[in-house]
Amino acid sequence: MEIVKATNLHKYFGKLHVLKGVDFHADKGEIISVIGPSGSGKSTLLRLLNHLETADRGSIRIDGQYIAKENAEGRSEYISGKETLKICRRLGMVFQSFNLFPHMSVTENLMEAPVMVSGVSKAVAAEKAESLLEKVGLTDKRDAYPGQLSGGQQQRVAIARALAMDPEIMLFDEPTSALDPELIGEVLNVIKNLAAEKITMIIVTHEMNFAREISDRVLFMDGGVIVAGGTPDDILVNPDHQRIRDFLRKIIREA
Amino acid sequence: MDIGYLWDITAYIALGAGVTLKVFFITLALSVPLGVLCALGKLSRFKILHGVLGVYTWLFRGTPLLLQLFFTYYGLGIISGGRIAFGPEMAAYITFVVNYAAYFTEIFRGGIQSIGRGQYEAAKALGMNQWLTMKRIVLPQAIKIILPPMGNESINLIKDTALCSVITVTEILRNANRVMSRDFNVGALVIAAAIYLLLTFIVIQVFRRLEKRYAYYTIR
Ligand SMILES: Nc1ncnc2c1ncn2[C@@H]1O[C@H](COP(=O)(O)OP(=O)(O)OP(=O)(O)O)[C@@H](O)[C@H]1O
Ligand SMILES: [Mg+2]
Repeated sequence: MEIVKATNLHKYFGKLHVLKGVDFHADKGEIISVIGPSGSGKSTLLRLLNHLETADRGSIRIDGQYIAKENAEGRSEYISGKETLKICRRLGMVFQSFNLFPHMSVTENLMEAPVMVSGVSKAVAAEKAESLLEKVGLTDKRDAYPGQLSGGQQQRVAIARALAMDPEIMLFDEPTSALDPELIGEVLNVIKNLAAEKITMIIVTHEMNFAREISDRVLFMDGGVIVAGGTPDDILVNPDHQRIRDFLRKIIREA
Repeated sequence: MDIGYLWDITAYIALGAGVTLKVFFITLALSVPLGVLCALGKLSRFKILHGVLGVYTWLFRGTPLLLQLFFTYYGLGIISGGRIAFGPEMAAYITFVVNYAAYFTEIFRGGIQSIGRGQYEAAKALGMNQWLTMKRIVLPQAIKIILPPMGNESINLIKDTALCSVITVTEILRNANRVMSRDFNVGALVIAAAIYLLLTFIVIQVFRRLEKRYAYYTIR
């Protein structure tokens, strides 16, 4: 059952052709890692899926519902903004730079969208927040402000904040790239624990061991297209493509 | 000097403080919301609005407030052949509101723009619409950023009210001036200065409190 399906996605930033016909799908509960060199369009792909950017060509379906559909000329036509927002609520996103709301406490960060968007009562939202903080191991930080937390803690809060909306799909855009090496593990562990919960996850990452361990499928992007996709072993251990081998060698050298 | 006389002129000059405060509060109460609207207009997608608001802030920030006062009080009447005529106080309110809103527009625009794209994206990813994002995420953070420049403008506003004296508004400085020319006594100016100092001191304290209230978090 395909919960995300995107076909022939094209994206331009001005004249820069960033996505050049990407076909992407994710099955319900599937965990997909997306790897590839800088500038290959990984973030752009994620951001198209939850409508942070709009596609120029191609179509996007979430659980069978179109948010963008290719018209006769091949241009992407979006359904109304309100409808898109509603469908995209089923996707949670975790950013490289956390993007917590600095003026709200940790608990308030977790309650904001459920209360203001979904109309959940404050009591219910607070209870949910507490259980999510337990899940990410931060109950003692419930009243702290983001500025008082380490990067790893902030990212765990950001994951909990996304989960507070009960997303069916979680998008992670390099969730550990902004972290000091010693803080990466705690964040990856939280994501690993989520893997047990049947949430569909699409993870852009440079953590190859993590990708290998957690993924059902790994996609390699380069130059605005998905060059190859397969099991973690296919892509990360014995890649057929020279480009993947070069990329992996470079990553290892940098690490 | 005779205490009774001092008391009399102080009371007379302080009477003007009532008008000064009226100009101060009316200006703040109206120019702040007007400034918010204009700032949102400047940040909107409507190109024509940008142009109109750009001319507006340029005109009112680029010419002396005193000139604007003259224009509203004398100029409009002359141009309209007497059809548009405001009393001194009304002319002062109108000019100050429009002038200060121009400054506030720029301050608010800067404050709102200093909130990073990541905040909007996080809000959108959580399903928040543009209105909610503004109300709950962007404006509360922008307030923290604009408080210091707002404090400065408020102090300026207290002092700028003195300009109203030239269009015969009976505020602090005008009353002090009258005493001075009647009695050849510079003491009246000293009393006026003391009242301005007291008022600006209060404004400074109020803003210091407000800034403290927003000190509980940091925006990076
Ligand atoms: N808002 C934007 N405006 C203009 N160009 C952009 C914008 N966002 C991305 N780009 C460009 O699009 C290309 C692809 O960017 P993208 O962020 O998707 O790459 P990426 O694979 O995520 O790279 P990285 O590993 O560095 O995060 C890059 O050349 C980038 O400079
Ligand atoms: Mg990226």
